[in-house]
Formats: sequence, C-alpha cells, structure tokens
Amino acid sequence: MKKLILGFTMILVLTLAACSNTGDEWDSTSQISVYTRDTSSGTRAGFMGGIGFDEAVEDDSQLVDGFVINDNTGILTSMLTDEYGIGYISLSSLDGSVKGLQFDGVDPTIANVVNNTYGLKRPFNYVLRSLDDYQNDTEKNISLAFIAFMETTDGADIITNEGAIPLDSTNTWDDIKDNYSVCSQDNSDVTIRFGGSDSIEQIAKALTEAFAPKCGNFIPEHDHTGSSDGFKRTQGSEKDGDNYKHIGFASRPFKDSETGSIGTQGQLAWDAIVAIVHNDNPLMSVTSEDLRKIYGGQFLTWDECL
Amino acid sequence: MNTLKLWLTSLKDSLRVNSKKEFVDLCMRSLFLLTTIISASFIIIIIIFILREGIKPFLSNNDGLGRVNLVRFLMGTTWLEGRAFFSNMYGVGFIIINTLYIALLSLVIAMPIGVLSALFIAKIAPKKLSQILRTVVELLASIPSIVYGLFGSGVILVFVYNLGKIFGIQSKGGNSVLATVLVLALMILPTITALSEVAIRSVSKEIEHGSLALGATKTQTNFKVVLTSAKSGIFTAAILGVGRALGEATAVSLVAGNARSGPSFGLFDTTATLTSTMLQGLKETIGLDYDIRFSVGIVLMIVIVLTNAILNFVKRRIGNVNVK
Repeated sequence: MKKLILGFTMILVLTLAACSNTGDEWDSTSQISVYTRDTSSGTRAGFMGGIGFDEAVEDDSQLVDGFVINDNTGILTSMLTDEYGIGYISLSSLDGSVKGLQFDGVDPTIANVVNNTYGLKRPFNYVLRSLDDYQNDTEKNISLAFIAFMETTDGADIITNEGAIPLDSTNTWDDIKDNYSVCSQDNSDVTIRFGGSDSIEQIAKALTEAFAPKCGNFIPEHDHTGSSDGFKRTQGSEKDGDNYKHIGFASRPFKDSETGSIGTQGQLAWDAIVAIVHNDNPLMSVTSEDLRKIYGGQFLTWDECL
Repeated sequence: MNTLKLWLTSLKDSLRVNSKKEFVDLCMRSLFLLTTIISASFIIIIIIFILREGIKPFLSNNDGLGRVNLVRFLMGTTWLEGRAFFSNMYGVGFIIINTLYIALLSLVIAMPIGVLSALFIAKIAPKKLSQILRTVVELLASIPSIVYGLFGSGVILVFVYNLGKIFGIQSKGGNSVLATVLVLALMILPTITALSEVAIRSVSKEIEHGSLALGATKTQTNFKVVLTSAKSGIFTAAILGVGRALGEATAVSLVAGNARSGPSFGLFDTTATLTSTMLQGLKETIGLDYDIRFSVGIVLMIVIVLTNAILNFVKRRIGNVNVK
C-alpha cells in the first residue's frame, strides 16, 4: 500500500516538473534581469566603454536596480536558466548554449572581430620606448624580440588562452628566433619593465612567463597601473622617471597626443565582448543605445526593446 | 651580574635531568610546547594582520579619498556610493543583516533534518546501516565548498528559478536568498548530523532504560528523553553549523547574486553576505577597494565571535543532563 502511494506521488511530481519545463511561452512583458561583472573587471570596463556608458564602468549606482553580479562563467550559466536575463561575456567564451546578440547588425564571431566589422570590442595595443632611448642594446633587442614573439603563433596561443583574440599570425617563434641573436645569450641579469593597462596584465604576464626562458632568462618586471601610463612611461612625460618602462600597454586606441616614434606602436590583440540572452529570447540584435537603456534602467521589460 | 648567575643556576636546577629517560621526556615536552606555541601564535598573527589592514581605511587618508566614516560603514545600506576607486562611502550594515538572516534560515532548515537523521543513525537504524550512513555523513562533511557551489549553481539555481515561476515570481535566474539558504543548509547538514549523532550516542543507557521501564514507548523515549539529554551536544552542533554558514564564501558567491544594496528579506531577492562581498573582485582590485575588504573581515570576525558568545550563553542556560 505504502509503495503504491509512493509510486503515485513520484509520477505526480514528475509530471508537474515536466509541465513547468515545457508548458509556458516566452513572455515579452517580463522584466529584464540584468547581469553584470564586478567594478574591478576589465570585461566590464570594455563593455560599458563600448556601449558609451562610461559612468557605469566603476559605479554600480548608475545601473538599474536589482542587477546580479557574477563572473564570466556565472553569467554564461545563468543565461541557460534565466529566460529573461541579459548579460555580457568575453567573446571567446561564447558557445552555442546561449544566444550571442548581433551588435549593430553584425554577428559576434571572431572573424568579424579580426576584419574589424564587429563593434563591441577594444584593441589591446603596445608601445615601446623610442629605439634610440635604451640604456643599452641588450634591453632594446630583448624588447624588440618580445614584440616579435607576441606576433608569432606561440604568442597567439597564449593570448587566446587568456581570453583575447590575437591578430593573424603565421610564423612560430622557432621560425624567426635566428633573427634575434640577443635571445641566445645569457640575459639573466637584464630586467625588462612592463607597464600600462591593467586589463592586459594577465596576458602580458603569461607572455613574459613563456618568453623569458626562450630569451636568455631575462627578468620581466610587471607594474600595470592603467592605459594612460602605457605611453606616458615609455615615451611620454614619465619616460625618464623612476617608473620608466620598456614596454607599455593600452587597452584602447592611442590618442593623438600619444603618437610615438615610428615603429614603436602596434596592436597585439582584440578584446571582444558579446551581449548574451537565453536561447528562447526572440531578440536577435542590439545597438549600443539599447544596451545603455537596458543597463541604465530606461528599458525595464523586454517588449520595450523588441 | 649576581642576579643573572642566580637565575642561571635556578634554570639549571629546573632543567637538571637525572637520567636519559627524563631527558627524552623533557625534549618531548618542549617539542609539544613548541608546536602549541606555533599553532596558537598563528591565530594572533592572523588577527594582527587583518586588524592592521582593516583599520587602515578608517585612520589613513586613503590616498586622497579621505577617511571612511565608521558609523556610516556599519549602518550603510549600499555597498559603495559613487565610483569605485574614487569614493570612500562604503557600507556593510545591510550585509551584516543579510548574513545573520541567511545563517539563521539555513539553521532552521538543517537543524531538524540533521538532528532527526542523527537520531536515526544512533538509535533506530540497524548496526550495519548506521555504519554505512555514518561514513556517508563523514564523506559529505569533507566535500570541499566549491563542489557545493557548483552543485548549487548547476542544480539549485535552476530549481529555485522554476520554483519561483510556479509561484509567479520572476527571480534573477535563481540567484536568491532561497538558493543561498539551501546551499548552506546542505553544507552544514553533515556537521550537524555528525556532532548530534555523537551527542545522542553518549546519552547514558540508564536514562533510556529508566524511561522504557516506566512504560514509555521507544519513540517517546527517543524524543522526550534521549534528545533532551543530548541537547547540550546538539546545541554545540548548531554552534559549529552557524559558524560554517557565516564563514562560507565560495559557494555563497556563486548563488547569492551579490546584491550591492539591501537588506534583502524576500526569498527570491538577490542577496550578499560578508564573505561573498569580500570575495567579489578581490583578485583584481587595488587601493581602498582592496583594504576595505579587510575591514569587512574584521566585521565578520566580530559577528562570528558575538554569535558564538550568545549561542554559548544560551547553551549554558539550557543546562546539561548527565551524559557520559
């Protein structure tokens, strides 16, 4: 008798569960659940900057009430469950389980980032000291070798592992290392100083960690304080100060005032971000204005932006 | 000079060893003393470190941001007003309330289940079964918190989200007070079960036999005699459970939603605890935004000490029955 009742209850529970999963339609009058990264996140800086909502980069009170803070994976998995959620993740972590929204009508793909049509992205740039401004040739040659290494497939793999999108590369380091004789000598007493954007810090550290053993074990020293220090401390006003750097990074395009001497600046990667929603959401494309209104709280329900 | 000599002789006296055996004994005793000093000094070192870092935001100028206002910090209902790295208006008042509220709710769920399972394992289950169950509980207690967190974000969030839909409430993907409470209840359940089980087993047989001899049934004995006799031990289990609930960070931050203002009392609202707030962005932030997390750590330690003191006081008040 008891078993019978148990069996019945089980069937009842299972049908209930099944009903709740398939029974209802996507409801456009529902509230938008907004997901964001923490204020210290580089992805958040890239996203808010990219949609022209700079005030919200470091200020949670600019955002709509009731937002959820989570990390990259947390936001991705939340979109599997939350039919009415919207979030943003690094493009390299987008997979088929959620819907990546078109930005201004362009599909969020790595190809579209590299050919510069997808808009929600920012460049990761580097700047060297001027070529005549090194204390000795060893420092200059290691710096140049490092730039060359970033542009090899070895460097590209490291950049991809850190979640950014490298530019096209064809050579491996083994192909080109003969051009950099400095790497065959012992450089263990040479310190090369890296600085600039803190968004690029992880990538830069991973790159130097892999490159130092390949180039005579020079000592990389990282002190990443922000994009504007990238140029300032290599070729700008602080280039001869205590905080001088050999190589600086900026996670944005260089400004006109930051034009350095020829052959010292370039791009190592793209950081692309994609807005994601649940697969059931009919929304296909967003503009930066839509996203600004969603995150700023002017759009509260989904039918306002469909 | 004289005093030194005197002191040295007295030291020699006290260290005088008559045989090799006593010498070994002395060595062992000093070894034990040394290990005790090491383990005890760590707590002091940690407290000093946390205090030194955590007090800084209230005393120093914070690189031009100005001192953090302590009263505002303790009473605030928004984590940070203004831009991060440019504002000193932090507040944790709502987070303290959230933390206590969540710990209390998880205890309310875990306590009855834990104590009744303990009663089953200790008194009712056949010997073979209870041995298996005891191993299962011990295994559960040793599962790392990140695993509970992953289970929470994969299963409990979906469950809470669907549960909300049944009630017509649209939760934020399940990130909520309820999800946090369920994860914490799961985590403290083995602790409570294991400790209660020990407490129940150590109730002396005489009391139990007395009750049975007076004509009480097994169930009456278990509830009215065994559980009441073990209440002190069960309370200890609750204290340790609350401690774990208050201190859990990883699992909580995966399911809480990390609200930045509050307090949140609604079961489907997003929330934040002291630990999850400390953890958010800890690895990426700098300056005052980093230091203030140590201040939150001090608040957390005070909350835990106070909670434990109150619970211990209550425990003493409810008294103790003759147990082994």
